[in-house]
Amino acid sequence: MVWYKSWLDTRWRFLIGFAILLVLAAGVIVNYSVSATLLPGLANQPVDTSTTAGRLLAEMIQLEQTYRGFVWGQWWRQNLLQDATLFAVLLGSGGAISSSKGGLFTLSMPASRTDWLTARAATGLGEFFILAMVPSLLIPLLSPLIGQHYSVVDVFAHGLCIFVAAAVFYSLAFLLSTMFSDIWRPLLIAIAVACVIGYLEVIFQLNGVFKVMAARRYFESGSLPWLGLTSSAAVSVALLYGASVNVARKDF
Amino acid sequence: MSEFAIETSDLRKTYSDGADALRGLTLQVPAGSIFGFLGKNGAGKTTTIKVLLGMTHPTGGDARVFGLRATDPAASVAIRRRTGFVSEEKDLYDSMTVQEIIRFTAAFYPTWRADFETRYRRTFDLPADRKVKKLSHGMRTKLALLLALCRGADLLVLDEPLSGLDPASNEDVLQALVRHVADEGTTVFLSSHQLADIDQIADHVAVIDRGRTIVSGALDDIRDRHRRIQIVFDGDAPALSFRTPGIIRTRREGRVLTVFASGGADAIAAEARSANAVAVDVLPLTLKEIFLESVNASVHAEN
Repeated sequence: MVWYKSWLDTRWRFLIGFAILLVLAAGVIVNYSVSATLLPGLANQPVDTSTTAGRLLAEMIQLEQTYRGFVWGQWWRQNLLQDATLFAVLLGSGGAISSSKGGLFTLSMPASRTDWLTARAATGLGEFFILAMVPSLLIPLLSPLIGQHYSVVDVFAHGLCIFVAAAVFYSLAFLLSTMFSDIWRPLLIAIAVACVIGYLEVIFQLNGVFKVMAARRYFESGSLPWLGLTSSAAVSVALLYGASVNVARKDF
Repeated sequence: MSEFAIETSDLRKTYSDGADALRGLTLQVPAGSIFGFLGKNGAGKTTTIKVLLGMTHPTGGDARVFGLRATDPAASVAIRRRTGFVSEEKDLYDSMTVQEIIRFTAAFYPTWRADFETRYRRTFDLPADRKVKKLSHGMRTKLALLLALCRGADLLVLDEPLSGLDPASNEDVLQALVRHVADEGTTVFLSSHQLADIDQIADHVAVIDRGRTIVSGALDDIRDRHRRIQIVFDGDAPALSFRTPGIIRTRREGRVLTVFASGGADAIAAEARSANAVAVDVLPLTLKEIFLESVNASVHAEN
């Protein structure tokens, strides 16, 4: 029942996220079928690469000359990266034991705070794992419809990077939820932190959490960014541990 | 099993903002009793309950339920397994239906009483398919009480269960409570402002003020001990100084000196007669009067 409660708390966020990502993953296939006719022409257009925008555009045009490059540029590096960050924060927000609605009822049950916290953290992470992996499977599934092939191994490798790295934002929202009694402040603060990190990574060309999520190294050389993955996992564990310490000493 | 279902000793709680909610609270709640826990708003009643159920950490002292230390996380789970709780806000899951929250709660308790569930669903006339957030305050209170009563608990901790109820619902809840206790011998720890209801059903009470116990014991003993001694003089009442201990408060109004005492009423009356009083009457006090006089005396002493 502790797990059931966690599922009830997160199910709509998960199910809505799942539906949206399914639609967006299918959209990648549709987009490619439209773009495929335009891309060869674009490859010959001159682009001013002295600006950041121009450099990114040139890189995008270059990438999208192959189907695998198109999927990486559109889906793993852009759509899923942004949406996964958002849904990680959404799933992490709210916390295990609300200080307002139903919190005292929850705490009156014969289960420890650790039980509630563990179940909530694991349920949210499990749901986020599904969001990071399953909708993307539509891409190898639907690719033959447009005469293309996409590797299932690539889906799992990129999905793993998205899951492990974006879990940092999940854990941050989870920790913030043990510090604030409402759902909005953890949500907004975690999103703001993600935006700032993303901005700094682009401007200063930093190797940060979004670079791990995009997994360029895997795309280019086939090897996973183990250092980034390990660091992200360590940060997540530290944030979740912080949440458990907060909840253990909190007065309701 | 301990003689007392609940025992606290010098219990203290200071919140992070510096507010002292409990300042050495000592309580003994006999097993099997209906214990009225009285105090003004902010006296520390809810904090005490939260400490007993492991929801709030005390900053000092000791709190035990069934002899188990309430501050120990594992013991706290064992305490809650044997305890039914109704919070002041009737805090429940708004998104569930009545049926869902009953099933949800029942799953936590191997001792869940299906016979009581049937009985109270009928008595309280609770609509199974209605969402909890759509229930009226009275219905919500009854549902919270059903969820507490059906746990097969040895202890019921009820924080203001009667607040905001109309007289009919109030009576329904009281009757259910009394019948349940009579049938099951459950200990009831009942925090309330409704002194008349406490007077009606409790056999033990404690009055607390600003985090300390100021009156505690069996209700009959408390009633027997507490007296108002009304002393009339020929002229203006003098400011007498009594030697007998137990005086809570004195009040002078013209020729009349009124003494509120928690014991030694006869000795006080004798002292008054020897001070040339023309009439001395020793009168019983209601629980409401005992409460008000004790709290006022506590405030006066503190100031």
